[in-house]
Amino acid sequence: MDMNRRQALSLALGAGAAVSLGIRPSLAADDIVIGGSIPLSGVFAFAGIGIHAGIQDYVKIINDGGGIAGRKVTYLAEDTAYKTDQSVAVFNKLTSQADIHLYYADSTAFSKTINAELDRKKSILMAGASFASELNDPKKYPFQFISGPDYTQMFDILLQYVAKTKPGAKIAFVHSDTEFGRDPIAAGQEKVKALGLKMTETIGTPPSAVDVSTEILKLRRANPDYTIFHGYVLAPLPEFMSQAKQMGLATKFMGTFWSMDNSLWAKVGDPADGFMGVMPYRYYYDTDGKSPMLEKIRQMRPEYQSPAYMLGFLTALLFLESATRTLAAGKPLDGANLKAALNSLKDFDTGGLIGVPISIPGNSIPVGRVYRFDAAKKLMVADSDWIKVGG
Amino acid sequence: MDFDWLFFAEVTLAALGNSALLALTGLAFVLIYKATRVVNLAIGEMLMVGAYLFFSFTAGLGLPPWGAILLAVVGGALLGATIERAVIRPMLGEAAISVFMVTIGVGSVLIGLTEIIWGAEPTALPDFMGKAPIFIGDAYVSRKVVIGFSVAAAVIAVFLLAFRFWRGGIALRATASDQAAAYSCGINVPAVFSLAWMFAGAAAAGAGILVGAVGGIAPTMGVFGLSALVVVIVGGLDSIAGALIGGVLVGLLEAWCGTYLGGEYKMLATFGLLMLVLLVRPYGLFGTVEIERL
Repeated sequence: MDMNRRQALSLALGAGAAVSLGIRPSLAADDIVIGGSIPLSGVFAFAGIGIHAGIQDYVKIINDGGGIAGRKVTYLAEDTAYKTDQSVAVFNKLTSQADIHLYYADSTAFSKTINAELDRKKSILMAGASFASELNDPKKYPFQFISGPDYTQMFDILLQYVAKTKPGAKIAFVHSDTEFGRDPIAAGQEKVKALGLKMTETIGTPPSAVDVSTEILKLRRANPDYTIFHGYVLAPLPEFMSQAKQMGLATKFMGTFWSMDNSLWAKVGDPADGFMGVMPYRYYYDTDGKSPMLEKIRQMRPEYQSPAYMLGFLTALLFLESATRTLAAGKPLDGANLKAALNSLKDFDTGGLIGVPISIPGNSIPVGRVYRFDAAKKLMVADSDWIKVGG
Repeated sequence: MDFDWLFFAEVTLAALGNSALLALTGLAFVLIYKATRVVNLAIGEMLMVGAYLFFSFTAGLGLPPWGAILLAVVGGALLGATIERAVIRPMLGEAAISVFMVTIGVGSVLIGLTEIIWGAEPTALPDFMGKAPIFIGDAYVSRKVVIGFSVAAAVIAVFLLAFRFWRGGIALRATASDQAAAYSCGINVPAVFSLAWMFAGAAAAGAGILVGAVGGIAPTMGVFGLSALVVVIVGGLDSIAGALIGGVLVGLLEAWCGTYLGGEYKMLATFGLLMLVLLVRPYGLFGTVEIERL
């Protein structure tokens, strides 16, 4: 058959559309539906891909076990490229196409933007990739939660560790000059004082900064015992650490959740040796203690999975535990009932994803552990017990 | 309180490293604009591809750094030539804004391809510059700063000399001055366009390796290209010397403001300088007066 270019293009577009429609799971009327604005491309794709896989895997585990009270769980998600307008568009599209009960948000900006709509709908419980301290306010964000400690609580965990390890230590904060980077700084400075530590320097770096040599010189003058980074994923942390070692600076470097992916540091190698940070979850390879859920993950995916994967997996677990408790109480699956069920979790066992039983009295899980990168093993190893802070 | 001159000297020397990165990336902007009058917003992404090519040749294929640098720079040049031939040349004669928008599209495509080929995770480049610190007098300077500055200064000097004495460079300047006259003199203008994009691609790849060595690589690292755009607007979009001087000016200003006022003042100072230059010399400090602005 002869085909001109336009016909061929139409055919290709049609085939593409059919494929995209085909991959959408079929939806039954009584399905429990998780929606998601997921950043599968763009600046946050490195995390979005892991989060997406984590949610998919937990949903599969539940469905393979017969669903919840005989009801299947369906996960509907679309790529947002980490753009708030696109996240909102995906939310509007998915909520108009299906009766969504639970929703995964890709950013702080989206979580804040969509909050009024959640309040209006009153039908959805939402969590996501944001650990913003602002979201940890059940009055302002009644239908949202954070699957871990918020950023202020992460600083709290790190500072408690420091206060115990080296009382009176000198502390410096290095943060990106963004909403994300500034989040825990003021509260962290107060906490430093409260714990009897000494604040020596706070350095902000512009979001696009590549060369941080001048900031490292400031850090050398401050000569802190501990330097806590926040608002970064990887860069410019290795450069800070490598130049600090060159200058003979004895400071220990620490970071928060998004800087704690073991695979990132394994590639950095020796300069990363001794880097510490707070992790709310066990690592994929952790075998200390009982962790049947990690065992299951390792069976499903034999290769390393990132902390972002654990975040997605745990969020899906908490979503569906809330749904299970709501249905068991004979209540409808709406935002208020799901949130109440979530808040009813007391000393809840996450199957070892978090090393201690958890409670969610408000909008966060205020617990974490300090890990330290061991360059010889190429692994983050536990450097503290699980630390609980004020919820 | 006594002013700490040693600290000031160290900050100033460190600033030169950032200046060098900005100037080298700015050079890539200038080369293309000078020859083709295209403001190429994909330069940051071309820089990123150069860094990823280096990563593949070293970490992936295990080539020695010098070989990987050479291949990455050649790869950058080929990328430049491909973009020019496949995307930019068909746009010849179209409105400047259309070509400008196309370069934004090219940048997005390069990000997408990078995510598909290398993945979305940020990563670090293998260390190829050594770790021993360098002291100038009592002042500490990072080794990467010294190497980055030396390489950028040498590359810019080579380009300045090439434009002055080499036939191809003179053809490029002639094309930049008057395309019709260049045609009538027998200059192959489309070939000159390709040459400019190849040189820019090579310079961008070199800059990408240096930027990646300092800050690691990620599909998002192309945003560095936007910082360099400020440099070339300050220096003059069609001036190679302007890219160098603009880079040094912006680098020093950012470092001094960041150190003595706070990191949050860096961007304020940079864009303050940009506004000031645009108000006083809208064509940049060293730019040709009649250049068109978008």
